[in-house]
Amino acid sequence: MRALTVELHQLVRSRRTWVTILLIDLLPTIVAVLLAVTDIGPRPGTGPAFLSAVLTDGTLFPLAALAIVLPLFLPIAVAVQAGDAIAGEAQQGTLRYLLVRPVGRTRLLVAKLVSVMAFVLLTLAVVAVTAYVVGVLLLGTSDAGQTTTVSGTSLTQGQMIGRTFLALAFALLCMLGVASIALFLSTVVDSPLGAALGTMAVLVASTLLLTLDAADVVSDYLPTRYWLAFIDLFRDPIHWRDVIRGTLLQAGYVVVFLGAGWANFMTRDVTQ
Amino acid sequence: MGPIAVRAWPADDSDVSAAELLTTVQGNLDHPYSGYVEAQGTLLLPVADRFTDVGELFGSSTRLRVWWRSADEWRVDRLLATGETDLIHNAQGTTRWRYEQNDADLSHDPDIRLPRTADLVPPEVADLMLSDAEPSEVSRLSAARVAGRDALGLRLRPGARQTSIDHVDVWADADSGVVLRAVVVGKGSGKAAFTTEFADFSPVTPPAERTRFVTPPGADFEFDDVLDIADAANQYAPVVPPDRVAGLVKGPASDRAVGVYGSGATRLIAIPLRGREAEPLREQLRLTPGVREEPQAALVMIGPLGVALGGSGGDGGWLVAGTVTPDTLLRAVRDLYRGMVIVGDER
Repeated sequence: MRALTVELHQLVRSRRTWVTILLIDLLPTIVAVLLAVTDIGPRPGTGPAFLSAVLTDGTLFPLAALAIVLPLFLPIAVAVQAGDAIAGEAQQGTLRYLLVRPVGRTRLLVAKLVSVMAFVLLTLAVVAVTAYVVGVLLLGTSDAGQTTTVSGTSLTQGQMIGRTFLALAFALLCMLGVASIALFLSTVVDSPLGAALGTMAVLVASTLLLTLDAADVVSDYLPTRYWLAFIDLFRDPIHWRDVIRGTLLQAGYVVVFLGAGWANFMTRDVTQ
Repeated sequence: MGPIAVRAWPADDSDVSAAELLTTVQGNLDHPYSGYVEAQGTLLLPVADRFTDVGELFGSSTRLRVWWRSADEWRVDRLLATGETDLIHNAQGTTRWRYEQNDADLSHDPDIRLPRTADLVPPEVADLMLSDAEPSEVSRLSAARVAGRDALGLRLRPGARQTSIDHVDVWADADSGVVLRAVVVGKGSGKAAFTTEFADFSPVTPPAERTRFVTPPGADFEFDDVLDIADAANQYAPVVPPDRVAGLVKGPASDRAVGVYGSGATRLIAIPLRGREAEPLREQLRLTPGVREEPQAALVMIGPLGVALGGSGGDGGWLVAGTVTPDTLLRAVRDLYRGMVIVGDER
């Protein structure tokens, strides 16, 4: 518990945390300003999901912001944050002292993981709140007072908020998968940069393979396969298929890579 | 399509004959159902702007959700990564809802039209290919698991000499007789030109509210007199095509300028195009690998689908497309020019 408290304290007191969140938050904010000034949405099928819809309903901007940061910005930040978790301590020579304190290795690993997920949660919350405020102020709200689903039916504000929270939870789970891969690599190498780059290599390879028809047989098992399935939560009725598959797939990545990371860390000879 | 373990699960087969299975399939072509469909086309058609949707349908993967109460009441949603394009058909006509454009178009539902997403669901493909198939043209295939259900296999080898299709394989739900998977293979090719299958399926009649549509507040709505370029040509082109081309008989729905000839897997459509519509397509055809420039038409075969455009630079011409051999296409173009009747100025 103490290890966790220390990690969370370090997270919120770290300048790097807030600078990273600010940078992630900046991109959707710039997009909102540009949309408001030009009133030009993306051509159908070309922009991030919901970006064309926000021109008539700014309350959808948190979802558009999620679609903007989820494919690249957020996973890079998570890879850096989680890659640094163990390898960063090892590189600075503090890992040995941490374990001497004494803090159990499992507890330390769990504390690091929870800290990374707290970072993701904090980032998503800041992005969602900023996007809502910016969306409503710059782009306005729907004249009808209701939100239209992707399928053309209407949602009440309560339903909309509920589905938005589901989408954020799904994004959180997807980032937990990324964090698990990065955390595993962080227990393997002593360089936080190496762990982050290794994670990004996995994600880039996954994204690339998804564009190849020849990779169809493995596509359902690639880590980035269902990341943008959160849009299915805004169809009517909700298209659960990919959301459920994405949830199970991410759970698989979490179990495998966290398990491997834990096994590796438990048996590792920490000399520095 | 679907996890390997689910696909590998053995299916219960039946000793029903091919002819009996064909009868079952033909008798259940309008059975209600709902589900999620994945279609994969490999045909990269040379399409100009006004045919873009057709090119996407046959040349890419398409994800669909379908609720089918009857031929008069259905809804097919095309799922896109950034939105949806849906077709809702009911007593009012056919409404197309496009989320990203935030608009809804209502149109009458003409018999003569270009292919659309609703034509890609397996039961509709089966309707197109098998509705008038003869027992002598079919044989049994092993059963397969499709959408987690036992599906009985049937192979159609079309008997018509004009067809470019080698065979069409379908797997029909053992309980309802609804076709769950269809695979179209062209002559001279071992690969599927087009595959469509349910990944989720229910034979239960979907609720009526699924086929109702109310335009959302703030969305644009309009009524379209003309559905697409084929409908426009059919309504306004001042010609009537002959009753028979290349040995294929004109269908009963073709009572104006556009002719649909043949049936089942041997079918072609002939559309009279004006110069401004024909010319971009002619340019595209010229750039398409494998194009044949014949005196009466430019012709290209994309898998089993043949496309020919008659006439020459700057002029209008007959566009002929269908699942027929190149010789049949050229004969069709020749017969169209010989047998068409000019009926006056544009209607």
